[in-house]
Amino acid sequence: MAQSEKQRSVLRINLDILNAVRDEGDAKPTHILYKANLSHERLVKYLDDLTAKGLIEIKQDGENRTYNLTTKGVSFLIEMRRAESFVQGFGLAI
Amino acid sequence: MATGALISFTLNILCAVVALLTSYYAYRVNRLVANQVVGAISLGFMLLGVGLAVDASTSLFSGRILVESFSDRVLVLFASFTYLTVQMVAYLVIAIGYARAAYGGQQKMAVPAVLAGAAAVGLYRFSLLSYFVALILLAFVVFQGLLLHSGQKNRFSTMVLLAFGLILAAHVVLLASVLTLGTALFLIGTGIQFLGFLSLLIFVVRSEVVGPK
Repeated sequence: MAQSEKQRSVLRINLDILNAVRDEGDAKPTHILYKANLSHERLVKYLDDLTAKGLIEIKQDGENRTYNLTTKGVSFLIEMRRAESFVQGFGLAI
Repeated sequence: MATGALISFTLNILCAVVALLTSYYAYRVNRLVANQVVGAISLGFMLLGVGLAVDASTSLFSGRILVESFSDRVLVLFASFTYLTVQMVAYLVIAIGYARAAYGGQQKMAVPAVLAGAAAVGLYRFSLLSYFVALILLAFVVFQGLLLHSGQKNRFSTMVLLAFGLILAAHVVLLASVLTLGTALFLIGTGIQFLGFLSLLIFVVRSEVVGPK
Protein backbone atom coordinates (compact mmCIF):
# COMPACT_ATOMS: atom_id res chain seq x y z
CA MET A 1 0.00 0.00 0.00
CA ALA A 2 1.41 3.40 -0.89
CA GLN A 3 2.31 5.82 1.91
CA SER A 4 -0.25 8.37 0.71
CA GLU A 5 -3.02 5.77 0.95
CA LYS A 6 -2.17 4.87 4.53
CA GLN A 7 -2.73 6.93 7.62
CA ARG A 8 0.33 9.10 8.14
CA SER A 9 2.42 8.40 11.22
CA VAL A 10 2.96 11.17 13.80
CA LEU A 11 6.60 11.23 12.76
CA ARG A 12 5.63 11.68 9.08
CA ILE A 13 3.28 14.56 9.98
CA ASN A 14 6.00 16.24 12.07
CA LEU A 15 8.43 15.85 9.18
CA ASP A 16 5.95 17.33 6.71
CA ILE A 17 5.49 20.33 9.02
CA LEU A 18 9.23 20.80 9.51
CA ASN A 19 9.85 20.53 5.76
CA ALA A 20 7.14 23.13 5.13
CA VAL A 21 8.70 25.48 7.70
CA ARG A 22 12.17 24.95 6.22
CA ASP A 23 10.99 25.47 2.60
CA GLU A 24 9.17 28.70 3.39
CA GLY A 25 11.32 30.34 6.09
CA ASP A 26 9.24 32.67 8.27
CA ALA A 27 6.43 30.26 7.49
CA LYS A 28 2.86 31.38 8.11
CA PRO A 29 0.46 28.87 9.72
CA THR A 30 -1.78 28.91 6.63
CA HIS A 31 1.12 27.94 4.42
CA ILE A 32 2.18 25.12 6.78
CA LEU A 33 -1.42 23.99 7.04
CA TYR A 34 -1.65 23.74 3.26
CA LYS A 35 1.71 22.05 2.77
CA ALA A 36 1.30 19.56 5.63
CA ASN A 37 -2.34 18.88 4.71
CA LEU A 38 -3.74 19.25 8.24
CA SER A 39 -6.76 20.79 9.86
CA HIS A 40 -6.14 24.01 11.81
CA GLU A 41 -6.87 22.35 15.14
CA ARG A 42 -4.38 19.53 14.55
CA LEU A 43 -1.77 21.90 13.16
CA VAL A 44 -1.86 24.03 16.32
CA LYS A 45 -1.33 20.91 18.44
CA TYR A 46 1.63 19.76 16.33
CA LEU A 47 3.19 23.23 16.21
CA ASP A 48 2.94 23.51 19.99
CA ASP A 49 4.60 20.11 20.28
CA LEU A 50 7.44 21.01 17.93
CA THR A 51 7.97 24.36 19.66
CA ALA A 52 8.12 22.64 23.06
CA LYS A 53 10.72 20.22 21.67
CA GLY A 54 12.81 23.16 20.47
CA LEU A 55 12.64 22.17 16.80
CA ILE A 56 10.87 25.33 15.65
CA GLU A 57 10.62 28.87 17.05
CA ILE A 58 7.83 31.42 16.90
CA LYS A 59 8.39 34.93 15.55
CA GLN A 60 5.66 37.30 16.61
CA ASP A 61 5.36 40.53 14.62
CA GLY A 62 2.25 42.39 15.80
CA GLU A 63 -0.70 40.25 14.76
CA ASN A 64 1.41 38.08 12.48
CA ARG A 65 2.91 34.89 13.78
CA THR A 66 5.51 32.99 11.72
CA TYR A 67 7.62 29.91 12.35
CA ASN A 68 11.29 29.14 11.72
CA LEU A 69 13.45 26.09 12.18
CA THR A 70 15.88 26.19 15.10
CA THR A 71 19.42 24.79 14.81
CA LYS A 72 18.12 21.69 16.58
CA GLY A 73 15.33 21.46 14.02
CA VAL A 74 17.77 21.66 11.11
CA SER A 75 19.94 18.91 12.65
CA PHE A 76 16.86 16.79 13.28
CA LEU A 77 15.78 17.12 9.64
CA ILE A 78 19.24 16.07 8.40
CA GLU A 79 19.22 13.06 10.75
CA MET A 80 15.73 12.14 9.59
CA ARG A 81 16.75 12.41 5.94
CA ARG A 82 19.56 9.92 6.59
CA ALA A 83 17.18 7.66 8.47
CA GLU A 84 14.68 7.86 5.63
CA SER A 85 17.34 6.87 3.10
CA PHE A 86 18.27 3.91 5.30
CA VAL A 87 14.73 2.60 5.73
CA GLN A 88 14.01 3.12 2.02
CA GLY A 89 16.90 0.76 1.31
CA PHE A 90 14.90 -1.97 3.02
CA GLY A 91 11.74 -1.03 1.14
CA LEU A 92 10.22 0.74 4.14
CA ALA A 93 8.79 4.20 4.66
CA ILE A 94 8.61 6.48 7.69
CA MET B 1 45.20 -24.76 3.45
CA ALA B 2 46.85 -22.04 5.52
CA THR B 3 46.41 -19.53 2.67
CA GLY B 4 42.79 -20.60 2.23
CA ALA B 5 42.18 -20.19 5.95
CA LEU B 6 43.78 -16.75 5.87
CA ILE B 7 41.64 -15.63 2.92
CA SER B 8 38.51 -17.00 4.57
CA PHE B 9 39.44 -15.30 7.85
CA THR B 10 40.06 -11.92 6.17
CA LEU B 11 36.87 -11.96 4.09
CA ASN B 12 34.73 -13.12 7.00
CA ILE B 13 36.17 -10.50 9.35
CA LEU B 14 35.43 -7.78 6.78
CA CYS B 15 31.88 -9.13 6.34
CA ALA B 16 31.49 -9.18 10.14
CA VAL B 17 32.58 -5.53 10.37
CA VAL B 18 30.06 -4.52 7.66
CA ALA B 19 27.29 -6.53 9.35
CA LEU B 20 28.00 -4.90 12.72
CA LEU B 21 28.17 -1.46 11.10
CA THR B 22 24.80 -2.06 9.41
CA SER B 23 23.40 -3.23 12.74
CA TYR B 24 24.66 -0.06 14.44
CA TYR B 25 23.12 2.23 11.78
CA ALA B 26 19.85 0.31 11.94
CA TYR B 27 19.91 0.72 15.74
CA ARG B 28 20.49 4.47 15.39
CA VAL B 29 17.71 4.80 12.81
CA ASN B 30 15.40 2.73 15.01
CA ARG B 31 15.90 5.18 17.88
CA LEU B 32 14.51 7.88 15.59
CA VAL B 33 11.74 6.04 13.79
CA ALA B 34 10.86 3.30 16.34
CA ASN B 35 10.04 0.73 13.67
CA GLN B 36 9.88 -2.99 14.54
CA VAL B 37 11.23 -4.03 11.13
CA VAL B 38 14.28 -1.78 11.51
CA GLY B 39 14.72 -3.27 15.00
CA ALA B 40 14.66 -6.77 13.48
CA ILE B 41 17.21 -5.71 10.86
CA SER B 42 19.48 -4.31 13.59
CA LEU B 43 19.23 -7.49 15.69
CA GLY B 44 19.64 -9.75 12.63
CA PHE B 45 22.78 -8.02 11.41
CA MET B 46 24.22 -7.93 14.93
CA LEU B 47 23.81 -11.71 15.20
CA LEU B 48 25.22 -12.14 11.70
CA GLY B 49 28.22 -9.97 12.55
CA VAL B 50 28.94 -11.91 15.74
CA GLY B 51 28.47 -15.21 13.85
CA LEU B 52 30.82 -14.16 11.07
CA ALA B 53 33.44 -13.01 13.59
CA VAL B 54 33.21 -16.39 15.35
CA ASP B 55 33.49 -18.17 11.98
CA ALA B 56 36.47 -16.04 10.97
CA SER B 57 38.25 -16.89 14.22
CA THR B 58 37.42 -20.57 13.70
CA SER B 59 38.83 -20.63 10.17
CA LEU B 60 42.09 -19.10 11.38
CA PHE B 61 42.22 -21.35 14.45
CA SER B 62 41.38 -24.57 12.56
CA GLY B 63 43.76 -23.72 9.71
CA ARG B 64 46.57 -23.50 12.23
CA ILE B 65 46.04 -26.14 14.91
CA LEU B 66 43.20 -28.44 13.84
CA VAL B 67 45.05 -31.64 14.57
CA GLU B 68 46.87 -30.63 17.72
CA SER B 69 44.55 -31.83 20.44
CA PHE B 70 41.09 -33.16 21.11
CA SER B 71 40.12 -30.12 23.24
CA ASP B 72 41.10 -27.79 20.38
CA ARG B 73 38.94 -29.77 17.99
CA VAL B 74 36.02 -29.63 20.39
CA LEU B 75 36.46 -25.86 20.58
CA VAL B 76 36.52 -25.54 16.78
CA LEU B 77 33.43 -27.74 16.44
CA PHE B 78 31.66 -25.73 19.10
CA ALA B 79 32.58 -22.46 17.34
CA SER B 80 31.36 -23.81 13.97
CA PHE B 81 28.13 -24.99 15.55
CA THR B 82 27.68 -21.57 17.19
CA TYR B 83 28.31 -19.74 13.90
CA LEU B 84 25.90 -21.88 11.90
CA THR B 85 23.16 -21.55 14.54
CA VAL B 86 23.64 -17.79 14.92
CA GLN B 87 23.63 -17.37 11.14
CA MET B 88 20.31 -19.20 10.84
CA VAL B 89 18.76 -17.17 13.66
CA ALA B 90 20.06 -13.95 12.09
CA TYR B 91 18.51 -14.70 8.70
CA LEU B 92 15.33 -15.84 10.46
CA VAL B 93 15.07 -12.50 12.30
CA ILE B 94 15.66 -10.54 9.07
CA ALA B 95 13.20 -12.75 7.16
CA ILE B 96 10.48 -12.19 9.80
CA GLY B 97 11.20 -8.45 9.71
CA TYR B 98 10.82 -8.41 5.95
CA ALA B 99 7.66 -10.50 6.12
CA ARG B 100 6.16 -8.00 8.56
CA ALA B 101 7.04 -5.18 6.21
CA ALA B 102 5.58 -6.97 3.19
CA TYR B 103 2.40 -8.34 4.78
CA GLY B 104 2.02 -6.19 7.89
CA GLY B 105 1.47 -9.19 10.15
CA GLN B 106 3.41 -11.79 12.10
CA GLN B 107 4.61 -14.82 10.21
CA LYS B 108 4.51 -18.19 11.91
CA MET B 109 7.43 -20.25 10.75
CA ALA B 110 8.59 -23.76 11.64
CA VAL B 111 12.27 -22.82 11.57
CA PRO B 112 12.78 -22.75 15.39
CA ALA B 113 11.66 -26.38 15.46
CA VAL B 114 14.13 -27.16 12.67
CA LEU B 115 16.89 -25.49 14.72
CA ALA B 116 16.07 -27.62 17.76
CA GLY B 117 16.13 -30.78 15.67
CA ALA B 118 19.36 -29.79 14.03
CA ALA B 119 21.12 -29.65 17.39
CA ALA B 120 20.67 -33.39 17.70
CA VAL B 121 22.54 -34.33 14.51
CA GLY B 122 26.25 -34.27 13.70
CA LEU B 123 28.11 -31.12 12.64
CA TYR B 124 28.42 -32.14 9.01
CA ARG B 125 24.71 -32.80 8.70
CA PHE B 126 24.08 -29.69 10.74
CA SER B 127 26.29 -27.65 8.39
CA LEU B 128 24.37 -29.02 5.43
CA LEU B 129 21.05 -28.32 7.08
CA SER B 130 22.03 -24.84 8.28
CA TYR B 131 23.23 -23.75 4.83
CA PHE B 132 20.04 -25.17 3.37
CA VAL B 133 17.85 -23.35 5.92
CA ALA B 134 19.87 -20.14 5.47
CA LEU B 135 19.36 -20.54 1.72
CA ILE B 136 15.60 -20.83 2.10
CA LEU B 137 15.47 -17.87 4.49
CA LEU B 138 17.64 -15.75 2.20
CA ALA B 139 15.52 -16.70 -0.81
CA PHE B 140 12.52 -15.59 1.25
CA VAL B 141 14.25 -12.30 2.17
CA VAL B 142 15.18 -11.64 -1.48
CA PHE B 143 11.61 -12.42 -2.58
CA GLN B 144 10.14 -10.06 0.04
CA GLY B 145 12.78 -7.50 -0.88
CA LEU B 146 11.72 -7.75 -4.54
CA LEU B 147 8.07 -7.25 -3.55
CA LEU B 148 8.93 -4.16 -1.49
CA HIS B 149 11.38 -2.89 -4.10
CA SER B 150 8.76 -3.12 -6.86
CA GLY B 151 6.50 -0.81 -4.83
CA GLN B 152 9.18 1.71 -3.92
CA LYS B 153 12.02 1.70 -6.45
CA ASN B 154 15.06 3.76 -5.53
CA ARG B 155 18.84 3.39 -5.68
CA PHE B 156 19.06 2.47 -2.00
CA SER B 157 16.69 -0.47 -2.17
CA THR B 158 18.47 -1.67 -5.34
CA MET B 159 21.76 -1.79 -3.43
CA VAL B 160 20.24 -3.71 -0.51
CA LEU B 161 18.51 -6.11 -2.89
CA LEU B 162 21.80 -6.68 -4.73
CA ALA B 163 23.51 -7.34 -1.38
CA PHE B 164 20.95 -9.95 -0.32
CA GLY B 165 20.99 -11.45 -3.83
CA LEU B 166 24.77 -11.89 -3.70
CA ILE B 167 24.61 -13.35 -0.16
CA LEU B 168 21.96 -15.79 -1.45
CA ALA B 169 24.20 -16.77 -4.39
CA ALA B 170 27.09 -17.20 -1.96
CA HIS B 171 25.06 -19.62 0.13
CA VAL B 172 24.22 -21.70 -2.95
CA VAL B 173 27.98 -22.04 -3.59
CA LEU B 174 28.69 -22.64 0.13
CA LEU B 175 26.06 -25.38 0.23
CA ALA B 176 27.68 -26.98 -2.83
CA SER B 177 31.06 -26.73 -1.08
CA VAL B 178 29.70 -28.53 1.99
CA LEU B 179 28.19 -31.24 -0.26
CA THR B 180 31.39 -31.78 -2.24
CA LEU B 181 33.79 -30.82 0.58
CA GLY B 182 35.46 -28.50 -1.94
CA THR B 183 37.84 -25.89 -0.53
CA ALA B 184 37.90 -23.88 -3.77
CA LEU B 185 34.10 -23.71 -3.84
CA PHE B 186 34.10 -22.63 -0.20
CA LEU B 187 36.50 -19.78 -0.96
CA ILE B 188 34.45 -18.72 -4.01
CA GLY B 189 31.32 -18.73 -1.85
CA THR B 190 33.06 -16.66 0.82
CA GLY B 191 34.23 -14.24 -1.89
CA ILE B 192 30.70 -13.80 -3.29
CA GLN B 193 29.41 -13.28 0.23
CA PHE B 194 32.04 -10.58 0.70
CA LEU B 195 30.80 -8.84 -2.48
CA GLY B 196 27.29 -8.91 -1.02
CA PHE B 197 28.50 -7.25 2.18
CA LEU B 198 30.49 -4.76 0.10
CA SER B 199 27.26 -3.72 -1.64
CA LEU B 200 25.69 -3.35 1.82
CA LEU B 201 28.62 -1.18 2.94
CA ILE B 202 28.20 1.10 -0.10
CA PHE B 203 24.51 1.42 0.76
CA VAL B 204 25.21 2.29 4.42
CA VAL B 205 27.85 4.87 3.48
CA ARG B 206 25.69 6.46 0.75
CA SER B 207 22.61 6.62 2.95
CA GLU B 208 24.74 8.29 5.64
CA VAL B 209 26.23 10.98 3.38
CA VAL B 210 22.88 11.98 1.91
CA GLY B 211 22.52 15.76 2.24
CA PRO B 212 19.55 18.00 2.92
CA LYS B 213 16.85 18.15 0.23
